[in-house]
Amino acid sequence: MVFSDLLFIFVFLPLFALCYGGATGVDRLRRHSSAELSRPMLWRNIVMVLFSLLFYSWGEPVYILLMLLAVAVNYACGLGIAASRHKKLWLVLGVAADLAILGTFKYLGFFAGAIAEFGVPVDVPEIALPIGISFYIFQSISYLVDVYRGQSPVQRNFLDLLLYIAMFPQLIAGPIVRYDTVAREINHRTVAARDVAQGSYRFFIGLAKKVVFANILGEVATQLMGGDLSGLSTAGAWVGILAFALQIYFDFSGYSDMAIGLGRCVGFHFPENFDHPYTCTSMTDFWRKWHMSLGSFFRDYVYIPMGGNRRHQALNIMVVWFLTGMWHGASWNFIIWGLYFGLIIMIEKYTLLRWRIPRPLLHLYSIFLLLIGWGIFYFDDMGRMQQFFTALFGMSGAQGFPLDVQTLITDNFWIWVGALMLCLPLRRKVADAAERMVAARQSHAGAYLLQFSRAIIALAILIISVALLVGATNNAFIYTRF
Amino acid sequence: MNTETTDPTPEETPAAAEAAAAPVRDVTAAVGPHALFLVIATIGFAALAAVFLFLPRSTYSELEKRDLAQFPPIETFGDDPAAYTAAVSGWFSDSEPFRDDFMSLSMNFRNLVQMQLPMGDEEEAVTFRPATTAPADARADGIPGGADPNLEADNPLANENAKVANAGIIIVGTGPNVRALMGFRAEPGATRPYVNLLNDLAEAMPSVQVYSMAVPLATEFYVPDKARSVTRPEKPCLDYIRNNVSSKVKFVDVYAALAPHVSEDIYLRTDHHWAPLGAFYAARELAHTAGVPFRELTDYDKHVIRGYVGSMYGYSKDIAVKNAPEDFYYWTPRGVDAKTTYVTYRTNKDYQIVSESAPYAGQFFHKFGDGSGNAYLTFMGGDQHLVKVVTGVPGSRKLLIVKDSYGNPIPSFLFYSFSEIHVVDFRYFKKNLKDYVAANHITDLTVAFNIFSASSASATGKVRAFMSQHGGVTAPPAKAAEKKSDSTAEKKTEKKAEPKAEPKSEKKPQKPAEPAPSAEPVPAPEPAPAPAEPATAE
Repeated sequence: MVFSDLLFIFVFLPLFALCYGGATGVDRLRRHSSAELSRPMLWRNIVMVLFSLLFYSWGEPVYILLMLLAVAVNYACGLGIAASRHKKLWLVLGVAADLAILGTFKYLGFFAGAIAEFGVPVDVPEIALPIGISFYIFQSISYLVDVYRGQSPVQRNFLDLLLYIAMFPQLIAGPIVRYDTVAREINHRTVAARDVAQGSYRFFIGLAKKVVFANILGEVATQLMGGDLSGLSTAGAWVGILAFALQIYFDFSGYSDMAIGLGRCVGFHFPENFDHPYTCTSMTDFWRKWHMSLGSFFRDYVYIPMGGNRRHQALNIMVVWFLTGMWHGASWNFIIWGLYFGLIIMIEKYTLLRWRIPRPLLHLYSIFLLLIGWGIFYFDDMGRMQQFFTALFGMSGAQGFPLDVQTLITDNFWIWVGALMLCLPLRRKVADAAERMVAARQSHAGAYLLQFSRAIIALAILIISVALLVGATNNAFIYTRF
Repeated sequence: MNTETTDPTPEETPAAAEAAAAPVRDVTAAVGPHALFLVIATIGFAALAAVFLFLPRSTYSELEKRDLAQFPPIETFGDDPAAYTAAVSGWFSDSEPFRDDFMSLSMNFRNLVQMQLPMGDEEEAVTFRPATTAPADARADGIPGGADPNLEADNPLANENAKVANAGIIIVGTGPNVRALMGFRAEPGATRPYVNLLNDLAEAMPSVQVYSMAVPLATEFYVPDKARSVTRPEKPCLDYIRNNVSSKVKFVDVYAALAPHVSEDIYLRTDHHWAPLGAFYAARELAHTAGVPFRELTDYDKHVIRGYVGSMYGYSKDIAVKNAPEDFYYWTPRGVDAKTTYVTYRTNKDYQIVSESAPYAGQFFHKFGDGSGNAYLTFMGGDQHLVKVVTGVPGSRKLLIVKDSYGNPIPSFLFYSFSEIHVVDFRYFKKNLKDYVAANHITDLTVAFNIFSASSASATGKVRAFMSQHGGVTAPPAKAAEKKSDSTAEKKTEKKAEPKAEPKSEKKPQKPAEPAPSAEPVPAPEPAPAPAEPATAE
């Protein structure tokens, strides 16, 4: 299931809210009846796990077993790390099992195909990618490593570990929540009215990003780049890749907003995943602002253990960026895409980051390289990618500004304007300023007015999103396929 | 590499700022305001959820003219659980209560986010109907015997603004005069099968005069200069036909007949068809070419169906088309006592003909009310019939029109010209054409196709097959029983429908896309099969 499915919004969410509310009541009663509870959130966690399994199995009824298997393996290895003297052995075993699962279901077909292309006779298996596998496997690895490093205590309760890995808000498209971030909250979390209010508001903001901006700009991108590329004009290629850049940002950051918001409603604090990445001044900077949970995962679990800045840094960088590319998909274009950024970031270390360059130029430089990057990212067919870049650089295709490209801009004009504005931290600045003003004056009326206007915004978003979703069939978030 | 420490302010959460600035009794952390948010949001959400969960679900979309998804039968769960859950999600988002209202809201929203473009350069272009008659009109009036073949139409919309909507449809202008045009892509050579068909028809039936009647689309006359690049000119196709038909075939120059009248409503703005007025000029050209009498519109009664919005709304999904309804004018010959006989073909889901009714009498003109989306079905109630009109006009000339839906209005202007008019749709005919022509003493045969059909090998191929087929419905023999029950069922509905003009049959027929295996480019210029039966005859 995905968040932008009407069934999720109007059936799943209300049912979950009712059951979770009921479970909260049961947990409270338990607390009243006995003074010291080892698991004060038991019923709430049970409800969350059941709904998470339902959420996942809706559309993936078979692969739910794979996920349960992965959790069981990690559960056992976690206990092994905690209890055994051979901690490292259990860690290696667990991580190897995780990578084996990921390798089989995500990369086996790709590698077999690559080997077959070199003339080695192997069967190329066709395995459908289990949704969200890259996310929950990485969370599993994070669990094992954090337990191994002693950053978090081992989870002795299978249900609670299942909750951490399968939690529906962030199960299928992140953010990648590291175990030590939420370990305590699994059994000790509090929810105030403010958490629910801010969490649900955040959810609606994410919904708008996905349904209003990502979906509409996605139509533009598909119209220009999804079909026959032979007639693609240079203007069309630029407009198309810009539309895709905005689409993927709003799609993914919208999902993260919805996940973080939902988590907040039930007392979890997931890490932020985006910080206005398109305001970056270099590719190094971009990756501090884009999909932050993946970047920090690679930093802490790969880059630094490999030696970080101290030993063979160049190698470390290239390995990390190769893996970042690979993580996005079993396809050459993602590998090229990862190495592309690795190379640029390495060059930046010795050039850009040491020079003084006016900021506007840095922004232009970054946007240009980003768009090229998204061009690599978009086309998993090398022939089409080549066709696209030929058009992009004006070496083929119609010149000028064809009518269909004009129409794609004028027909969605305010969507484009809104999307570009939302790439800047304007919305946050306005919201912060309003909060600060209310706080500074300690104005109760102001506080009520602020929340009232947020409620109106949330409902307006809900109604418009629902209208836009009516009859829409293909709503999958881009990142659920990674 | 990534660091979370470089930027202390994570995106989109005021929490950080708050936490930093929060004194103990900060009003921004107070329960009251947040409770207010929750109360309003919950009430709003619950109201909307109640609509979705408890109100009766929609089953048919008038906007899209289609049946909506149904809840998948639970027995199919085992076959493919993943597909089943997807079907449930699809059902939920397809058949929600007030679906069409939500759709309209969504299209209005999409309209709102558009840049409102200034309209054309000149006022005339905007109002679209120049107040004075264009010089082109005078030219045509000066040539009574036929239109000037070298004429080029003056496009009144040349300077209009345009954009490309869904399915490559060109939307011209704004406001109440919006016009939707189909893109055309074929090369002149694509009309070769049509030319060959005409030549072979003439060869096979030497006693019959064959006419070519290829009709350009509105695009040919009205595409603004701005949008020329997204469509191809049709005139070269028409010229190709003219230059390649044999001497036995007479070329009816529909283009030249229409060109002087571009400032009149010869095409529908919101539908993919031409307007009856366009068919009038084409019929006049045919009558001139055939040398038969012809009456001007003064001998006709004029009727109007107001508030008509045609198929282009569904194709283009552009609300501007819906917001620009037009008047549908048609004419009925005065003082003619014509007798119309129908043979109706029924098709199965795959658009194969499964039954052929016995001939029955009906009215040629069907009446639709203002606001009906089916105005174009006025003529013979649509396409699914073989129609014979005995006009009551004395004479020996008998016309057979083989046509697509563009041909439907043509016979209505030829009652004064031929003693009999037979109408055969290229998709619905099971008899042998040569036998039919001989048995009915046909003297003139015209193949009236719009340029899409005329450049479609599949459409012309179907007509070619008419010459060799030998009657009978080609339903698989095993299904003979089904065929029988089908036709009886049909008769039942016929009877039922007769007393009242049932609203359902008025809505359903004009589905936006024809799934029939026709070779016509998207959007198919043919509307889906006609309504059930000529039940609404006046």
